[in-house]
Amino acid sequence: MSEKSAKIIFYGGTLISAILFLYLTFDTHRQVGVLTHADKLSEDVVAGKRVFQKYNCNDCHTILGFGGYYAPDLTKVYQRRGPDYIRNIVTQPEVVLEKSFRKMPQQHVSPEEINHLVAFFQWVGEINNQNWPPQDAKAGRKAGVNRLLSSANMSAGAALFKENGCFACHKLQGVGGDIGPDLDDVGSRLSQSQIEQQIVNPNKLNPGSVMPPFPNLSEQDLKALAEFLSKQKGGAE
Amino acid sequence: MIAYKSQRVAYPYFVVALCLFGLQVILGLWLATNYAFTLPQWLVNVFPFATARAFHTNLLVLWMLLGFMGGTYFMVPEESQSELYSPRLAYIQLILLVGTGVAALIGFLFGWTQGKPLLEIPVQLDFLVVIGALIFLFNVGMTLIRAKKWTMIQGTLLGGLVFLALLYLFGIPFYRNLSIDWYYWWWVIHLWVEGAWELVTGAIMAWILIKITGVNRKVVEKWLYVEIGLFLFTGITGTGHHYYWIGAPRYWLWFGGIFSALEPLPIAFMVWDTFRHIKEGKGEIKNKVVWTLAVGSVIYHFVGAGIWGFIHTLPQINYYTHGSQVTVSHGHLAFFGAYALLNITVFYYAFPQLKGFANFRQSLGKLGFWITSSAMFLIGLAFGVAGVLQAYLERVLGLGFMTAQAQMQFWFKIVIFFGFIFFAGVVIWIYDLLRLKPVSDSSSS
Repeated sequence: MSEKSAKIIFYGGTLISAILFLYLTFDTHRQVGVLTHADKLSEDVVAGKRVFQKYNCNDCHTILGFGGYYAPDLTKVYQRRGPDYIRNIVTQPEVVLEKSFRKMPQQHVSPEEINHLVAFFQWVGEINNQNWPPQDAKAGRKAGVNRLLSSANMSAGAALFKENGCFACHKLQGVGGDIGPDLDDVGSRLSQSQIEQQIVNPNKLNPGSVMPPFPNLSEQDLKALAEFLSKQKGGAE
Repeated sequence: MIAYKSQRVAYPYFVVALCLFGLQVILGLWLATNYAFTLPQWLVNVFPFATARAFHTNLLVLWMLLGFMGGTYFMVPEESQSELYSPRLAYIQLILLVGTGVAALIGFLFGWTQGKPLLEIPVQLDFLVVIGALIFLFNVGMTLIRAKKWTMIQGTLLGGLVFLALLYLFGIPFYRNLSIDWYYWWWVIHLWVEGAWELVTGAIMAWILIKITGVNRKVVEKWLYVEIGLFLFTGITGTGHHYYWIGAPRYWLWFGGIFSALEPLPIAFMVWDTFRHIKEGKGEIKNKVVWTLAVGSVIYHFVGAGIWGFIHTLPQINYYTHGSQVTVSHGHLAFFGAYALLNITVFYYAFPQLKGFANFRQSLGKLGFWITSSAMFLIGLAFGVAGVLQAYLERVLGLGFMTAQAQMQFWFKIVIFFGFIFFAGVVIWIYDLLRLKPVSDSSSS
């Protein structure tokens, strides 16, 4: 190869890519308003973004998948948890995560700032981003399926059992994985409170258990799930 | 042993960079501890993970940039065959940048932050960084103008540094729209590491190859054109692999996917190029450590940045691995291979000369290389396993974040274990470089 053709590769390659990239940037700006429904980008949302930056939330949490990987992604936090949960955990992380093996700092965020944060998360959660993260795309479908099933009298506990992926390891009525024990007769083996304990801290009842703990279930959900399982006493329902 | 007196200014840059590297690794160990164990609430309140991470990443940027700048100050006098325009400005610049860095770190402790990952430095300090960068570019630029001697390698280096400085500006404003914010955040982060920094790396590596192997400059320069041409062709539009899930148009899946699939090409080219130059080189390479480090760096660069990056940026895979520990794995292998090893290569090339001798005991430098690169490879693997586990449990099975993290804790303990070994390797490098002593010709081999 001559020096001249080497230079052509350099200038040509760089220019082509740069022009293409700048054009796509221009086009992205044209489209991003619709994709992020910028019409809903209110002053409250912007104030929420400033709060999000002020407390450096993004160096523990990811949002749209970017940031620290230490804490849950916040892209869909509003849709997953709702405003009350967000208010609660930001206000008193030391209480909400008391039993969790990972903590969140108490940063004394004011109630007004939290309102802005909630507005920000609500807006972020509605960005049209090719259905990322995948589990929420599935949860979206699942919510629809669950609604159908609940109209066929599926209990809240049964829905939670399905939603939390328990089938991945446990069998119920012959359906599910082999890693954990069948749960068809779990209600005759364990009391409801023992089941609750087992879900929150599997190692307590069962030292060395390979079951992961589910520390993030709300108390209400935990109760519903345990109640559902305690009714599984063998035989058909 | 240095050809120009003003090359000396590089020395304090290198020493500071080395020490900050050590500090960065200590913070890394602390971060892994945060993952693997439960910390008490009071400690999390005063020194949260977020602050430690800001330390870890900003130290990385600071030490690597100081290394690049020191490397430039070392290289430019020889390339332009003249003294630097102003050694005093170079010292002022170093004090300014290090002072800004220290102020930023202390600020982070008290919550003074812009709150954007990797670009946490508050706006007020950004201006000091910009002033530091301008002094640097002015100093180097004036040296070249005064010397009236332009070489292609110099041009690439300076081009990369100007590009680097310009891109930094895109990270400074407050963007109202989060999607736009990330869009331009990547202009800094991606176009740095897969654009501007690659130019700097390409130039420095080419220069060192000429110096240690004695291959024909014309040949090296010709292939450098091809190499950086490919880097920029794939790297610029390859930025798109960060735009898949941010609320940008869907075509980025295509543009980002295709261009980043091509990104390993220039790196493979660099590996091939390096080996060819070494084979064609005249005479025996005296400084074997530099040789080991340079070859290690390009191979690592190819594995960590090239292969890992290739796999991770395919949209079909990235949908599941985006924002997981897989990214962490890729980040560690790529940064270590491409940029940490490059800096250490420069240090081992320049230190003996700055201290005034040619031959030195090379065993510790090599030992450091083998310890750090093996340990980092295993750290990368552990992060990778944790990441695949996370992607499967969280994104495929739909289990909760903390449920997945509980299953990953074991792998973070592995990271801590190899992290200590890595740290030991870094300490060996720091100790060896700072205390480098001459040996007579006969005992050097």
